[in-house]
Amino acid sequence: MPGRELDSILEGRRSQPHQLIEVLQDVQENFGYLPEDAIRAVSRALGVPLTEVYGVASFYKAFSLKPRGKNVITICTGTACHVRGARLLLNQATGQLGVAPGEMTEDGMFTIEHVNCLGACALGPVVTENGSCHHHMAPGKLRKLITSLNGKGEATHA
Amino acid sequence: MIPYVTLSIDGALIKAAKGTSVLDVAIEYGICIPHLCHVPNLSDLGACRLCIVEHVVNGRSKVTTSCTLRVREGMVIRSNTERIRHLRRNIAELLVAQAPNSRAIQDIAVRCGVKKVRYPFRNENCVLCGRCVRVCSEMWQAKAIGFVGRGKDRKVDTPFSQPSEACKRCGTCIDLCPMTITPCDGPMKPGEEYLCGKCESQMMEANSSPDQCIWCDLGEGFQCGRY
Ligand code: SF4
Ligand code: SF4
Ligand code: FES
Ligand code: FES
Repeated sequence: MPGRELDSILEGRRSQPHQLIEVLQDVQENFGYLPEDAIRAVSRALGVPLTEVYGVASFYKAFSLKPRGKNVITICTGTACHVRGARLLLNQATGQLGVAPGEMTEDGMFTIEHVNCLGACALGPVVTENGSCHHHMAPGKLRKLITSLNGKGEATHA
Repeated sequence: MIPYVTLSIDGALIKAAKGTSVLDVAIEYGICIPHLCHVPNLSDLGACRLCIVEHVVNGRSKVTTSCTLRVREGMVIRSNTERIRHLRRNIAELLVAQAPNSRAIQDIAVRCGVKKVRYPFRNENCVLCGRCVRVCSEMWQAKAIGFVGRGKDRKVDTPFSQPSEACKRCGTCIDLCPMTITPCDGPMKPGEEYLCGKCESQMMEANSSPDQCIWCDLGEGFQCGRY
């Protein structure tokens, strides 16, 4: 476990239970997910019982307990996006990459997630890719997006 | 000296210590308000919604859970109106559909007058009443188990689903769980769940003297406040 990064996140926040969410957000940002060791360390450092930290970490969609791929594709399945065909997008993405929502592809390139409303309903269906937002998505557009991300990844790998 | 307030529950004028909940007072005075998630001396969560009552304010009544409602001076509470009985029956019906494999839940269904179940049986092994979670944290200060996840994926678990180091092996969580006693005829197989209803005779007396605790056996399975 990269202890130094964790130490700098915890710096100045030890024994302050109210900092829990901020600390978890920083851990999530740093590691891309919440590793078990980090959760245990946060619990000890802030003095919050492990059960509570785990409860919070599992409650919010913004936190992930499993490693996530290099590219995180988040498909909105909220009401507005649902009626505009979010289900088709989800099928497209899971079919193309062969993983279930919330799982990472074997090569570690992609994770597909779904959320309930990103707050941009008028632009639906909405998909975000690594934080940038794509509006009026269609299965074809999504396929191209995934293909291009895949190509980019391979190019940098080579 | 403890400050007291006077309130009326189902027409009876009752003196109660400030800070207690309407449900606690009612049980203490022998007024039967069905409940499930409430455990004496633990905090109340309002999870099961069975203990609903009508709270009359300025001639208008609001339906609310009595376990989370604190007594106040001059309060008017009705626990056994047509409206409440109807709502309560629906809640009990949903509970028994969720978890038919529990004697406590089957008993509650009888107590609340459920005659048939219109929802598909799910046969889950937890109704998320939170009794285990609260006793673990409040009585034992252990916090070994807690609620994990949210919405339809919410469940009771230990961190990372691994045996918890914080657990004191006291077993109270199991003692208090309404799911640990199966219906008298044994566990039901998936696909063969039914509404038991065999204890209906227990209700004869209760029906003839509504809103009174008659020490029926229907509360035993989940340690109703009287047991
Ligand atoms: S047995 Fe363990 S989990 Fe259950 S109430 Fe006791 S300390 Fe908590
Ligand atoms: S495990 Fe039992 S006591 Fe705990 S929440 Fe579920 S039904 Fe209630
Ligand atoms: S439902 Fe998708 S952004 Fe609101
Ligand atoms: S006893 Fe009040 S909501 Fe369960």
